[in-house]
Amino acid sequence: MADAPVFEDLMSTWASGPMLSIALTLGAFMVAQWLFARFGRPLWMPPVLIAALLLAAVVAASGLGFEKYSQGAAWLTALLGPTTVALGVPLYQQMHHIRALWKPILATLPVAASLAAVYALGIAWMMGASPLVLASLAPKSVTAPIAMGIAEQLGGSVSLTLGGLLITGVLASLFVDWAARWLNIQDDRIIGFALGLNGHAIGTARAFEISPTAGAFASLGMGLTGVFTALLLPFAFQLWLPAP
Amino acid sequence: MVMLRGFLVLVVFFLLGEALRLFAGLPVSGGVLGMVMVTFTLIMRGRVSDELAEASRGLISVLVLLIAPGVVGVFFVFDQFAGHWGTVAVALVAGTLLSVFTTLLLMKKVAGSTAKGVDHG
Repeated sequence: MADAPVFEDLMSTWASGPMLSIALTLGAFMVAQWLFARFGRPLWMPPVLIAALLLAAVVAASGLGFEKYSQGAAWLTALLGPTTVALGVPLYQQMHHIRALWKPILATLPVAASLAAVYALGIAWMMGASPLVLASLAPKSVTAPIAMGIAEQLGGSVSLTLGGLLITGVLASLFVDWAARWLNIQDDRIIGFALGLNGHAIGTARAFEISPTAGAFASLGMGLTGVFTALLLPFAFQLWLPAP
Repeated sequence: MVMLRGFLVLVVFFLLGEALRLFAGLPVSGGVLGMVMVTFTLIMRGRVSDELAEASRGLISVLVLLIAPGVVGVFFVFDQFAGHWGTVAVALVAGTLLSVFTTLLLMKKVAGSTAKGVDHG
């Protein structure tokens, strides 16, 4: 195997900068978009899940390792901050829709955002989940940067929280579609709001596929849920579970 | 250049959001605070510039690309929680189904007749 060291040298040269991770991520994103369209846009298999599965397989098989990969990919994920800010623009552009619906939004948000956490926590608690698992699941409907902060504050595991976020985001996109059809709701504003409130960024990405209006309401739902949960959950959790 | 100017505005608002988070001691991410600030600024100004609209459209269209790397990590901590995934799965599936129904029903109830107007805008 005279070739083996050469390949390893090449890998370590490539992996010393962020470009390999960036190329892999961009490639996976494009392949995922293509596959998603190819399979008739299945809701249970959104592009983010396809891209992540492809990336995990390549990262594991190439010997690059997750640590190295995520160091490089941090150059891309740094853009999540300004992208979250960018969601404010469609929010403003759809302000006339939001003004028309501000009462139902304000009435629904505290109840729905609380229940998004309480349902899952209650079920996990009844099934005998440990405090660590409960603390990790609590911010499941909140957008990733906020959720990671909440999980840490409650003493949960950030990795498990991210896993819960992924599953919740995919499920929320799927369930909103079913439930809206079942309840005969065709209003993009309500559908978008439910997607953002329950499915954070994954639900919001899905909502922008439906229409700009749905996307704006998803941004609104995601932002409000994030702020509401971040402010109230640590406090509520302390009352409910004095010694996590 | 046009795109870059819009991008600069977004980055500056992100930095302002981080500053607000730090000085007000809020447990909310700088991105979300920046989003709130940008929305309010636009409401005050009453219009959005082409470069800002363009830059934000561009970034939002690659939202999935930016989330994917974080999601990859999930597959590498799978065995760390070997005993918990059953509970987690049931809680998330049932919990999310219930909360989606709750949100949609509440919105439909409260919005009432006002919600019938705009379809697929």
